[in-house]
Amino acid sequence: MSVEDDMTATDAAAAAADTRGAARIGSEPITIAVIFGITVLLILSSRFISPAFGGWSQTETILFLSSFLVFCSFGQGLVILVRGLDLSIASMITLGGVLTTTWLAGSNDGIWYVIPAILAVSAAIGSISGIGVTVLRIPPFIMTLAMGIIVYSLCLGYTQGTPRGYPAPALADLMRAHVLGVPAPVLLLAVFVAIAVVLQSWTTFGRRLYAVGNNPVAAHVSGLSTRRLTIGAYAISAMCAGFTGIALAAYANGATLRMGDDYLLPSIAAVVVGGSSILGGKGNFLGTVGGAILLTTLGTILAALGIEQGWKTIIEGAVILVALIILRESVYEAIRVWMGRTSAG
Amino acid sequence: MSAVDATSATEAGHAAPKRRLRQGIASQGAVLIGVIYVILWVVYAAEQPSALSAYSIESLLNNSLPLMLAAAGQTFVVLQGGFDLSVAGIISLSNVLVAVYPVEGPFGALVNLAMVVGVGLAVGATNGILVAYMRIQSIAATLATMIVCQGIALLILKAPGGYVSEFIAYELTGSLFGTVPVAAVIAVAVACIWLAFRRTNTGIALYAVGRDATAAELSGIDVRRTRFAAFCWAGVLYGCAGFMLSAQTSTGNPTAGEPFLLLCFAAVALGGTSFSGGSGGVIGSLIGAATLMLMQKVLFSTGVSSFYTGVFQGVVMIVAVLFAAFVQYMSRSRGNG
Repeated sequence: MSVEDDMTATDAAAAAADTRGAARIGSEPITIAVIFGITVLLILSSRFISPAFGGWSQTETILFLSSFLVFCSFGQGLVILVRGLDLSIASMITLGGVLTTTWLAGSNDGIWYVIPAILAVSAAIGSISGIGVTVLRIPPFIMTLAMGIIVYSLCLGYTQGTPRGYPAPALADLMRAHVLGVPAPVLLLAVFVAIAVVLQSWTTFGRRLYAVGNNPVAAHVSGLSTRRLTIGAYAISAMCAGFTGIALAAYANGATLRMGDDYLLPSIAAVVVGGSSILGGKGNFLGTVGGAILLTTLGTILAALGIEQGWKTIIEGAVILVALIILRESVYEAIRVWMGRTSAG
Repeated sequence: MSAVDATSATEAGHAAPKRRLRQGIASQGAVLIGVIYVILWVVYAAEQPSALSAYSIESLLNNSLPLMLAAAGQTFVVLQGGFDLSVAGIISLSNVLVAVYPVEGPFGALVNLAMVVGVGLAVGATNGILVAYMRIQSIAATLATMIVCQGIALLILKAPGGYVSEFIAYELTGSLFGTVPVAAVIAVAVACIWLAFRRTNTGIALYAVGRDATAAELSGIDVRRTRFAAFCWAGVLYGCAGFMLSAQTSTGNPTAGEPFLLLCFAAVALGGTSFSGGSGGVIGSLIGAATLMLMQKVLFSTGVSSFYTGVFQGVVMIVAVLFAAFVQYMSRSRGNG
């Protein structure tokens, strides 16, 4: 029995490694290139809507606005990578924002320990979700949905319904600063993306997350602590959402209880549109970045067209749906077969 | 995860005679939650003697019915082995439809009901096609349909408003012959329909698919059609839930369905239905939903700030899932022993 188990585990691991290699060579660069291509086309063609659009300054604005989505999508992507889903992101963003304004209360004093403290609180809450998912075996979306509602409710009680206070002036200044003519938030985005790509694709931790997502049993058999890795993914996700909350509070110069709502569903959309499999084990953060920028561009254009909220929501759902349908395994398989045939013939 | 599924599947294959025993214990989940419900009633009545008045019972049932119907629908999808997030979207959409296009009179109520059932069926069928035939993971597919439904609801009604026809708002929240609450009649009717459905071929197939889709396929069950049917039933029941929610609130709100998302999963879990599919049933979910609403009532009669409702709901949700897992564990270990 145990021999049989080992055999299947090794087979599964080998199979997983196979598809992973094939997928990386076959589809990932194509997906990322296509997403960025569509985004550039969208930005260029938005000139037809308004002459103010389509230039470098609009691109800067879009990059700036999409940075919030990129921050929280990174965590969402890691959780999806290990076969989960994080529905607590909206509340965690609110928590980050509320704590930034109440703890700093409009002063620069203590900024050096308050921000790490907020990130630590977020990570601790994320770890609890991770423990619920791994140790207690609660389905991820239920665990994070429940955690989200608990955290939101705590924010509501903590602020007695209306968040007060302001973020530190230093944070607000940072959001408006320019370094060598480039807005500081855009540089922040670039630094964040660089760190995130390294963490997800180049570190042992990142590679192990892929292994867990591909086949948790095989990962466990080959000696990985799947629980600890999964909890780590949830902790990072919560921390990224808390960070998004800090950045948003700095940008808006205040916090609201609903400030995270506009980021939960788009964060899932960005990951899925970016070519990651919703089933876990496959994806690249650069794709997610492209997805986030694409969605933000689309949102900016729709806003400029004066389209009502209902249509925007419908389009958001439709984009997720289309991405899910297009990015199914069977479709990749078909493309791979087709490419193999053309290169052979 | 997949290996765990595989082991439980082989277990089920070896332990076919034990299956009946396990099913018997799993249905004890419904009995267990029923007992909890009665105990809660006693606590509530002891604290507030007025709780036993006909009016109080009627209003509690009216409050609970939308969640009971939503949880009943969710049970179909959970039983076949999946999750349906579109419940929030369909309830919002039907609520908005009933409030924006009110038709007066008993006949009008039927027209409104037909509208929401039609919408529920259409969305449910879409989910069914996406999940069963296009093989998209159920959470992802229904998340997308939920967002689209919410968008359509916003297009129909931008902000809370509208009014529900008088017949729906008054007659459906009242009592038959002044004694039996209409809500109770509807709940019992749903339970009876379920008991009949469970004995049909589709009903049996639903359990088989949830337990082991491959085995079901091999024994000649049309797995895809069964999954498709489960999503259709769920959609129709969500539509009815939205209809009864409109009767209760007598107004429209494009985000009316959102609170149902978490609560209906909590109700299903409390009712003893396993999230891995194949065991449990609608009756447990109905009682589970009623218990959740009663629990909130008991909690707030003790004077907790309404700011912290969410903490309560979240904790109950987690406890409910652990409770369901515990019932499963007990039934499994007894089944093997």
